[in-house]
Amino acid sequence: MIARKKSLLFFLFLTLAVACQKTAKPPDIALQYEIAPQPARVGATTIDLKLTDKNGAPVGGARVELEGNMSHAGMGPVSVEAKEIQTGKYRGTLQLTMAGDWIVLVHVTLPDGQTLQRQIELSGVRND
Amino acid sequence: MNNGAFDLLRVPLVGRLLQWRHARTLFQIPLLLLSVLMILHGFFGPSLAPKNLATTLSWVHFRGALVLILLVAGNFFCFACPFILVRDFARRFFRPVRNFPRFLRNKWISVSLLIAGLFVYELFDLWSSPWWTTLLIGFYFVAALIVDGFFKHASFCKFVCPIGQFNFLASTISPLEVKVRDQAVCTSCRTKDCIKGRRDPVSPLVVIQRGCELALFQPRKVGNMDCTFCLDCVQACPHDNVGILARVPASELTTDMMRSGVGIFSRRKDLATLSLLFVFGALLNAFAMVSPVYVVENWLAKMMNVTHEAPVLGVLFVFALVIEPVVLLGIAVWLTRFSTDKSPLSLLVRYSYSLVPLGFGIWLAHYSFHFLTGLYTFIPVMQSAAAELGWRFLGTPLWRLTGLPVSTVQGLEYGFILLGLFGSLLVSYRLAEEDAPVKPMRVFLPWAGIATILFAAAIWLLSQPMEMRGTMLGG
Repeated sequence: MIARKKSLLFFLFLTLAVACQKTAKPPDIALQYEIAPQPARVGATTIDLKLTDKNGAPVGGARVELEGNMSHAGMGPVSVEAKEIQTGKYRGTLQLTMAGDWIVLVHVTLPDGQTLQRQIELSGVRND
Repeated sequence: MNNGAFDLLRVPLVGRLLQWRHARTLFQIPLLLLSVLMILHGFFGPSLAPKNLATTLSWVHFRGALVLILLVAGNFFCFACPFILVRDFARRFFRPVRNFPRFLRNKWISVSLLIAGLFVYELFDLWSSPWWTTLLIGFYFVAALIVDGFFKHASFCKFVCPIGQFNFLASTISPLEVKVRDQAVCTSCRTKDCIKGRRDPVSPLVVIQRGCELALFQPRKVGNMDCTFCLDCVQACPHDNVGILARVPASELTTDMMRSGVGIFSRRKDLATLSLLFVFGALLNAFAMVSPVYVVENWLAKMMNVTHEAPVLGVLFVFALVIEPVVLLGIAVWLTRFSTDKSPLSLLVRYSYSLVPLGFGIWLAHYSFHFLTGLYTFIPVMQSAAAELGWRFLGTPLWRLTGLPVSTVQGLEYGFILLGLFGSLLVSYRLAEEDAPVKPMRVFLPWAGIATILFAAAIWLLSQPMEMRGTMLGG
């Protein structure tokens, strides 16, 4: 009986621990992107990103990492660090390994250490 | 006697463990804990399927491990089923008093649920949605509780559970079977505890060991159909006369005798339909993962002038699960109708089972592909889940861990399908020998032809570039 109560409490704790994580307010940054080639194909896919603050000014000096995941579980992600090609503009090339639906996670670390994450859907990546 | 056949229950340690009264619970508890973890992560974890335990463990690891265990051993998932652990616990408080309705004691509910499951899987892209996957896991727990809360015995397992039906059919190919060791012992047995269970001699209302909940009377049980490997019969037998014996895989498909709790295969239209769904569903499920499906779907959508996926999928399902089997099997029946004295319908039902090995080969190839190419992906997902809770003891997620190379696994896939074809050819030849002893080839060849066509289709599917997509139309 005591063991049963203990396990119940454990799961309650686990549920609360997962559900009640603190979430920090994300920085007010806008992200625009362009993907080439269009439509996306298996192989090299270049993503150009533009980061701007709430006043529309470009945000330079950020660390931008692109992480491509397939929509299906069981596939490894592909990652690349985007290079700043102009103030506030970043470019990264992902090697997409399979046709299908990809979701690109953009992890941004701003110069002041704040982080944000955006998601880009890359549906229907083709083989040919 | 079992003629010295290998008996898993006689293997030191393993045998003693499996014969232990609480062995099933011991295996069910970890799966229940894992299910709870998957449900929690499914609802509260990342929405990205490759980073969520619900989707990773369900669609990559569970399905793959399931078919591989069925191939090398038997129906050990049903043995360790977590849904039944919860049901058994609930039955301590609610004891059902009704029997499952007689008119539903067949596989038609399971056939409908399997079709619905396959359809929903494609329509809502279950593999890419932790939320939907979690709902599905929850559905199984709730369905088992409701069905077995209302009805006695293992009604959910026998008549409803789609995973169970898949396992029953696949386990006809397994090398192990729960079976009596010595028929003579059963002949002299007076108590029949394996089916009736054992009651407390002092308080006869108290069941101290239940008998088979699936109505399989051990001395007349043939094969693995409807057997959940629960080992209740092993526990109940007072003569220690039930073992887990080795047998020739698929051999039970070549016999058509009266089976306890199942009946005669060739008279079970529901079971034959389930078998055909198992076979053609395997092809359909694999077809949905390769590039040509999108060409076909876009063409269909254009023809039908629709933009929603449901009607297009509906047409594909009708073609793959109704028209294709009717045409192919109709041709085989038409070609064999004069070579035996059996009616076309009984020929159709009887030879449907011969395709089960091939169907299993296709499922095996498909699921083991995901399992083996994504073998280690649960490690970074677990690490990431722990990190989300602030527990860093599992380290930084090693996202580079995936699995075996596709090129290595592809050879294995072809091997599994070839093995399936071999099994189907053997079964259909044995059936043909019985039906037309003088000229068995006349009956065998048309059915062998159908198996070969399906085999060629499966090989073609595997050689197509894979495309893991959910967005079918307009993508």
